[in-house]
Amino acid sequence: MFFNSLSFALFLPAVFLLYWFVFNKTKSTQNLILILASYYFYSCWDWRFLFLLVFSTFLDYYTGIRIEKAKTETARKFWFWLSIAVNLGFLGIFKYYNFFAASFSELVNGFGLQTSPLLLNVILPVGISFYTFHGLSYVIDIYLKRIKAEYNFIDYSLFVSYFPLLVAGPIERATHLLPQVKVKRSFDFEKAKEGIYQIIWGLVKKVVIADTCATYANAIFDNYESMNSLSLLLGTVYFAFQIYGDFSGYSDMALGMSKLFGLDLLRNFNYPYFSRDIAEFWRRWHISLSTWFRDYLYIPLGGSSGGMAMKIRNTFVIFLVSGFWHGANWTFIAWGFINALYFLPLLLLKKNRSNMETVSLYWNWSSLKVILSMISTFALTCLAWIFFRAKSIGEAFDYIGRIFTNQSFLPQYLENERYSYEIILLIIAFILVEWNSRTQTEPISGRYSWVKVTLCIMAIIALGTYSDYKEFIYFQF
Amino acid sequence: MKYFFLFFLRILIITLLLLVVLDLVYTKVYLKSSNRGKIDYVYNSQAQQYDVVVLGSSRANNHFVAPLFEEKGLKTFNYGMSGGHLFEASLLLKLMVERQYTIKNVILEADLNLSNEQMADGIASKFLPYIHNSKTIEKHFSSQKDFNQLFYIPFYRYVDFETRIGFREMFFNCIHKRTVHLDNLGYYPLGKNPNANMKNDLTNLKPLHNKYYEEIKQICKANNINLIVVMTPMCTNTKGLDYFEKVRQFYPEIHNYENAVEGDQYFSSCGHMNDRGARKFTAIIIKDFFNK
Repeated sequence: MFFNSLSFALFLPAVFLLYWFVFNKTKSTQNLILILASYYFYSCWDWRFLFLLVFSTFLDYYTGIRIEKAKTETARKFWFWLSIAVNLGFLGIFKYYNFFAASFSELVNGFGLQTSPLLLNVILPVGISFYTFHGLSYVIDIYLKRIKAEYNFIDYSLFVSYFPLLVAGPIERATHLLPQVKVKRSFDFEKAKEGIYQIIWGLVKKVVIADTCATYANAIFDNYESMNSLSLLLGTVYFAFQIYGDFSGYSDMALGMSKLFGLDLLRNFNYPYFSRDIAEFWRRWHISLSTWFRDYLYIPLGGSSGGMAMKIRNTFVIFLVSGFWHGANWTFIAWGFINALYFLPLLLLKKNRSNMETVSLYWNWSSLKVILSMISTFALTCLAWIFFRAKSIGEAFDYIGRIFTNQSFLPQYLENERYSYEIILLIIAFILVEWNSRTQTEPISGRYSWVKVTLCIMAIIALGTYSDYKEFIYFQF
Repeated sequence: MKYFFLFFLRILIITLLLLVVLDLVYTKVYLKSSNRGKIDYVYNSQAQQYDVVVLGSSRANNHFVAPLFEEKGLKTFNYGMSGGHLFEASLLLKLMVERQYTIKNVILEADLNLSNEQMADGIASKFLPYIHNSKTIEKHFSSQKDFNQLFYIPFYRYVDFETRIGFREMFFNCIHKRTVHLDNLGYYPLGKNPNANMKNDLTNLKPLHNKYYEEIKQICKANNINLIVVMTPMCTNTKGLDYFEKVRQFYPEIHNYENAVEGDQYFSSCGHMNDRGARKFTAIIIKDFFNK
């Protein structure tokens, strides 16, 4: 059941009505209906993995209590490491085992020994990386005595399994979501209205921008050997907007529908393609994951408190782990490594926190510099996306090589019977809308909101891509 | 909550109004279109006179060289549509009759396409803009399982077949951007294709008593049109060629020209002859059926 499917369009209003009109008596009944809805939502993907989700929830719930109640440090550590090991164990088996087995086999074969890896025939449970990270942050926070353990299983389950964030985030923190779950929610019209606007804008990003770009990006990436330089360049730009529209569109819809239930989720994107350097990009892209790695990996590793060497090491560690989090493939690791390389000069020059304020432009030379820095950051990001999108690192290098060696910049007719340049105007229009609303969460609120809503709905109906249905990219992670 | 429901109701009303308005606008544009493809060309045309009309799939579109018929004095147009099935061929013929075309002969390519009665989404969708303006189209689609959605939900058809009749196609119609579909009197010549797959396996294909083929026969009979039904050539390396014999057992009136042109030098892919092959084949057809 996808957010942009007809079945979800029936599911969401049904849950909304039950939540506010039938189960509205106490916070427990509110939480109960959301939990039931979340489990139903998850079982629509694959009911078998519901057991995994419930087990994972119970594990962290129970170990959290045991950590808090432990009388000795040894017991505290035992329950903590048990939770970490089981959580990462599940992630390892379902997501990474085959990758490690195949890579090990390849390595051994490289030494002349013939081995065939013992691969598992398992499918990746949808959302496992997200709900595992929810649980991990909760247990770590209890272990570090930042929060108290949650004793109400329903409340805790809702924190882990809340359907808007269950399959693709944002990765919530117990400190942020649990306090909201602990109180009865009252209906807030303004918040619900904002939520509807955010859902509509999320849909625009998904079906108008991401899926349209995907049609072109796929035609270019899947046939990159026959594409000319212009098409290859456009392919990277299209993929950049595909993945942004897809993931941030999903996040917008998740945040928006959560507002309908009176719950605020963490913001996940903040106009990342207007970043002036890579450090700023990572403060604006997939924020809930970046801050998760910052708080639970970078800082425990020593963060920036040590010398420059430690900073560099820790930066590389979090980028490589972040890449690996996305998927068990060397391409994601390469993507993480490239981003770490981009980060390196900023670290060395101590400029990684230089662009903290919202970007503004005026009619002067310094604004030209800002524009150039935004364009160059976007170009670097696109270059890294090639590794993210390619099937192998070799293919990514080949793709990049062809951009420079082909030297043809003529419009090209793609396999899907479209010209490669056809959606440039759509992307420019999208950039302009995003630019004008960069201080807001979505562009619809404010003056003329009804005009803007009408235009957005019109874009969804008329410009959306529907016949060639595309899943949300981040569901696979 | 009351305010929220009113707010939501307004959004629903806006959405519904947009669906209706966009449906009207798109349909209006398609009603003025006549140079994008064979369907809009026929739909928006007046009565015409033809000695020969060619119908069928790409194996008609790429195989019958309409200009060769013209050279022999036969006014011809190739209405074969790549990817089309007999569902679309039948409907196109109905529209021609409805527009009082005078047709002496219909050459129908009926071979591989006899094996299914499904509509070909990519081609059939091109009729859908006119579904509210033509009883013939409405009736033809009425047996389709999603007819109610296509007919009654405004704009549904433009969303469902967005790659074929969606915004992009509507926009090109608006600016009167031409396609090549109507060039060469509808015939689309294929060249050499070095990467073509010169193999085909027809062993799993089974001819049906095809409803739409029967319809075409009836239309021709009712309108005194001479119907010539032919099976067209396949490349050398084709398995299951007895399929053509099975077709003959079902429909003895269908002429088997499967082996009329032999040799892969005449083919662009296994099921499609190149221009050289098509010319050779067309010459045989003209000689056999028109004695010219």
